[in-house]
Amino acid sequence: MFAEIPESLHHDVAAYALGVLDPEDIQGFELHLASCERCKIELDEFGELPGLLDEVKSASQRVRP
Amino acid sequence: MWLVRRQLDTRFERLDPDDDPDRDDRLIRELYQEFGGPLLRQVRQTTGNDLQWAEDVVQETLLRAWRNAAKLTWERGLLWAWLLTVSRRIVIDGRRRRSVRPREVEPPEADSIAVPDAADRTLAAIVVADALRGLSPDHREVIEQTYLRDRTVSEAAEILGIPPGTVKSRLYYAMRALRGVLKERGVAS
Ligand SMILES: [Zn+2]
Repeated sequence: MFAEIPESLHHDVAAYALGVLDPEDIQGFELHLASCERCKIELDEFGELPGLLDEVKSASQRVRP
Repeated sequence: MWLVRRQLDTRFERLDPDDDPDRDDRLIRELYQEFGGPLLRQVRQTTGNDLQWAEDVVQETLLRAWRNAAKLTWERGLLWAWLLTVSRRIVIDGRRRRSVRPREVEPPEADSIAVPDAADRTLAAIVVADALRGLSPDHREVIEQTYLRDRTVSEAAEILGIPPGTVKSRLYYAMRALRGVLKERGVAS
C-alpha cells in the first residue's frame, strides 16, 4: 500500500518553487505535492528565494523589465 | 516567447480543458479578483496613501505577473510573495523618478512604515550574491544556469551536459544550502 516514494521526486520541489520545472513535469509534481506534507513545507520555505534571487538578477543582468 | 505561450497554454488546459479563447483576459481577471484588494492595501502603505499611485502600481504588478505567467507557479503563497516583491520594486522606482522630477503637489510624507529603499535593495543584492559565491561550485552553477538565466531544468541539463534528474537534485540541495545561509544572515526567515 505504501509504495516507497523515490527521494528524487521530492527534489522537484526546488525547481517548481523557482518556476523552472519543465512544463511536462509540472502536472506530475503537483499531483505528488497534493499529498506530500514534506514538499508542501519545503515549497513554503523556498517561497522567498525567487524574490531574493531577483535582487541579484536585476542588479547584474537586466533581462526582464 | 514561444515557451511562455506554451506554458501558459499548458497551465490553462489544466484549469479548463475546454477551449477558451479568452484565456489571457481570464488570467488577468482572476489575478485581480484574488490579489487586487490585498495588494492595494499593502501598496498603499508604501505610497503615502496616494491612492492613484497605489492603483497604478497594482495594475502594473498584475500585468507583469501575467507577462511572466510561465515563470510563476500558481501556489498562492509563492505568487503572493512574488507580487509583493515586484510591487515593492515598482514603488521604489516610482519614488526615485518622483524625487528627480518633483510634483507640484507636496510629496507623500515620510513613511512611518519601514519601506525598503534603493539602498536596501542593493544591500540585499550584495548579501544574496555573496551567499551564492559561498555555495559549492556545483550548487552555484545549477542556480545560475536555471533561474538566473531563465532556463528550464532540461535546457540547463543540456548546457551542463548532465541528466535533468541530476539538475533537479542539485538544485534542491543548492536551494536548501542557499536558504540556510540567507537565514543565518537574516535575509530569509
Ligand atoms: Zn514530496
